[in-house]
Amino acid sequence: MNRKSMKLKKISHGVVGLALSCFTVFAAQAAEPKELFFYNWTDYYPVDLLAKFEKETGIKVTMDGYDSNETLLAKLQAGGAAYDVIVPSQSIMRTLINQDLLMEIDASTLPNFQYVRPAFRDPSFDPGRKYSAPYLWGTTGFSYDSARVPGGKLDDSWKEFFEPRKELQGQIAALDTSSSLINAASHYLNIDECSENPQDAKRILELLQKQKPFLKMYSSDNTVDRMASGEVIMMQNWNGSTARATLQKNTIKYVYPREGVAMFQDNFAVPKSAPHPGNAKIFIDWMMKPENAAAVSNAIAYDNGVQSEKLIDEKWRVMDAINMPEAFASRLRPEKECSNKARELQDRIWSKLKG
Amino acid sequence: MIALHLKKLPLTREVSLLILAYLYVPIFVLIAYSFNANRSATVWTEFSFAWYGRILANPSIQTAALNSIIVASIATVCATTIALLAALATYRPFYGQKVVEGGINLPLILPEIVTAVATLLLFMALGIKLGLLTVIVAHIGFCIPFAYLPIRARLNDLDKSLLEAANDLYANPWQVFRRVTLPLLWPAVLSGSVLAFVVSLDDFIMTFFVAGPGSTTLPVYIFSAIKAGVTPEINAISTLMLVISIVLVVLAFWLGQRGKQQ
Repeated sequence: MNRKSMKLKKISHGVVGLALSCFTVFAAQAAEPKELFFYNWTDYYPVDLLAKFEKETGIKVTMDGYDSNETLLAKLQAGGAAYDVIVPSQSIMRTLINQDLLMEIDASTLPNFQYVRPAFRDPSFDPGRKYSAPYLWGTTGFSYDSARVPGGKLDDSWKEFFEPRKELQGQIAALDTSSSLINAASHYLNIDECSENPQDAKRILELLQKQKPFLKMYSSDNTVDRMASGEVIMMQNWNGSTARATLQKNTIKYVYPREGVAMFQDNFAVPKSAPHPGNAKIFIDWMMKPENAAAVSNAIAYDNGVQSEKLIDEKWRVMDAINMPEAFASRLRPEKECSNKARELQDRIWSKLKG
Repeated sequence: MIALHLKKLPLTREVSLLILAYLYVPIFVLIAYSFNANRSATVWTEFSFAWYGRILANPSIQTAALNSIIVASIATVCATTIALLAALATYRPFYGQKVVEGGINLPLILPEIVTAVATLLLFMALGIKLGLLTVIVAHIGFCIPFAYLPIRARLNDLDKSLLEAANDLYANPWQVFRRVTLPLLWPAVLSGSVLAFVVSLDDFIMTFFVAGPGSTTLPVYIFSAIKAGVTPEINAISTLMLVISIVLVVLAFWLGQRGKQQ
């Protein structure tokens, strides 16, 4: 018995050594100066463009994806995940700044900031662009198939969507995202989308309940194909996914309703814990070069915040959905970060509507 | 005996079939739609391999798949080594044996979310930067019991007289291990390591918590891509993962059976 346990002991030593070496191999990860950790929405950046950046600057980029602003916030709050560049939407920017999670990068002092469009230079969520630089932006309006509506044209109004004509009833889809639908209804009713007044909430709920029987579905999935395949004639939609649908079926049109259309902006920012802030600034500056900003727009089908109109592919440039006519600029309503009270009201509208 | 009685109960067959259908129908639907030419996950048009081509050409998926394989391979080798060591050290009765074994198998019983949060907090406390390394270390932790159990079971069945015979023939400890113990254990080591590999490959919760730059694995990629809509691409990756897992589990089972027959 004793001899055997001796044997086992010796064997154990050998195995322990092997197991330990498993760990030490990875502990020896040295910090590489020429690298950048990029944390972005999944599939929201063309991979070829990273290769170009690498070639021009010698900085190797590692890109990971997240699914929502909430995931990004959780990763940053937990700490330990050392990313250099992140892509928060404007709706989460104040939270990130207030929680002291972002590094001041003074984007306006970067050389290529001169190419940023005036409308994107001084946003309310980050006055003076101290913490962020613009990435892509888009709108949540609605799209329709002009070949299948009477007269071939719909009015530029949310009325077409919320109080649809007879011919379209039952052929309509709404986004299954509470904020998107409530924002649109608020704009139509000329109510502040962050209203804390229960009377306003009641009016919004009534409008949505009246619309509900005319809808085929609430869904935020497969928006491109739902339009292109003709599953519905009209749907609440993002401009980018409308443009992709138009590419498949050229009778699909996008509407910027005159009552107001919600606008979302995504931004580049640098977390306070970034291990390579210098590289992050190089990357953000590089992304404000018109040719690089345009390369993203051409691949992702959303417009960017840089003066790059001339470099946008012809196929997108001819579409109102991507190349917004200047006259509609006054219809844009940047998404706001509502108070908790307003959000509670929205949750109640949503659960009553869907319940 | 109980099993025999259960079989005789009325409707047993129907209920079992219903339960099996409930478990497997969604998986079959997922597989079927991965061959759907239409982009919409709800409308069937025609049979196509297009989505498999698409995922093989997608660089983000390639990176995620590579990460998954790196993590699973290293975690498997380390976890199996540790499990083998643990099994050799614990198979003979000793005071506190149950407690030690319970400790080794704890990851099987603990809710994974608890282990994940605890692991994340540990890394934070130690000031370790999250990345591929932290994912691998965390995976080694929960893979150990999956490798340990088959090896331990095999050790129990081991014919002790063979070891004693080797001793009597003046084999030194290393020779006994190398020429007698290890060959006898080998099928169990292999089947344990395959199980560990599959568990690591499929893990989401732990990976999601301890992932840092450059450590997106396939399950994490699938989760983050699903927000943009369930496309047949997701079905295709899921189908591939399912096939790989099934093949490996069958392999583990077959190795285990073969070991028993020898």
